[in-house]
Amino acid sequence: MKAYLNGISYYLPQEILDNVKLSSMHPEWSVEKISEKTGIYERHIASEFEFASDMALAALEIFFEEHAIDKKDIDFLLFCTQCPDYLLPTTACILQDKAGLPKSCGALDFNLGCSGYIYGLGLAKGLVESGQARNVLLVTADTYTKLINEKDKSNKTIFGDGASVSLITSEPKEVLFKASIQDFVYGTDGSGSEHLIVKNSGIKKHKELSADEFNETGDFLRNDDYLYMNGKEIFQFTAFQVPKLIKNVLQKNNLELTDVDMFVFHQANEFMLDFIRKRCDIPEDKFFISIKDVGNTVSSTIPIALKRAIEQKKIEANNKVILAGFGVGLSMGSVMINFN
Amino acid sequence: MERDLFLKNVSDQFLDLEAPLDFDSNFRDVDSYDSLTGMTIMVMIKDEYGVDITESQYRAQKTIEELYNFVAENKV
Repeated sequence: MKAYLNGISYYLPQEILDNVKLSSMHPEWSVEKISEKTGIYERHIASEFEFASDMALAALEIFFEEHAIDKKDIDFLLFCTQCPDYLLPTTACILQDKAGLPKSCGALDFNLGCSGYIYGLGLAKGLVESGQARNVLLVTADTYTKLINEKDKSNKTIFGDGASVSLITSEPKEVLFKASIQDFVYGTDGSGSEHLIVKNSGIKKHKELSADEFNETGDFLRNDDYLYMNGKEIFQFTAFQVPKLIKNVLQKNNLELTDVDMFVFHQANEFMLDFIRKRCDIPEDKFFISIKDVGNTVSSTIPIALKRAIEQKKIEANNKVILAGFGVGLSMGSVMINFN
Repeated sequence: MERDLFLKNVSDQFLDLEAPLDFDSNFRDVDSYDSLTGMTIMVMIKDEYGVDITESQYRAQKTIEELYNFVAENKV
């Protein structure tokens, strides 16, 4: 039995943080210059009372409007988030009820960020190909903007909120597109876990009104109650590990680089993407970037970009596409999907 | 370790250089320098010279001469 990716929908919150607003918050910050390099000009921000579960539900509603799929046929819900409603219960269970999915449906959360979509596809493929499920919904949603300290202009520039829904099935349904899910490669380096972290956020360390820390030039550096990202370490991880990841996924799928029609990577920021693209020897016209109006939406960047690439006809029938996610964990994964 | 090549390798990491860099240049003063440029310089040093330079070690090098000396001393 094979597994197929059959449809994608996504949801972006209404509120937009553009560069004008960002500049007014941080007049000392050269937002235009930074945006020119990162390629990010707008980010969607979840409202005060809008959480990952609400965005996931909104994305599910859009998905069922856009696709002729009967809810009663869904037999598994995978929810990728690092912003669950509660430590328990699992947010996927709440979503099953609110979305009106059948009680015969399995549901679980998994905690991954930028690599999450790839791992979700891998889990869904496993469920389908082992005969445990026929129609799996993979939902991604995060509200990193709620984790960012008000003074943290760097992370405010990069991250946005969003949610996505993908359908993985045992039979190729001709919905909007169909792509068979081929072979995966994964990777983890937990020694870098502290480089992208909300330290005071779980059972081990509760939020405790920590003090802000600043660097020698007076810029905000970190506060352990909020998101901390060591950009240099994440950049180095990506720069050195992603080219190996791509080499391995090509090898696993018996492909040469030139056999691939399009690469869709986690949309971290345009500068980093372009830097990795060159290190992987991928030509510019085979590398899809869509980040300008959304920013880095963590686990939702790949499905959002993939859907946009399909809509813009950058991906067509018989195309082979490599997806790759990498980041918080540190974690990475890649897969080839074949639009056959 | 070839000095001119090192200078070129550092210069290549800048998207826009109004004037050529030299060994006395405090490269962080160049208009187009930002933290992203710093990240690519650190990656270049690892790529070309096999030297892992930490952020604090990198920050301590003020001129290209100092950066060159650090890499030359730590190159295996």
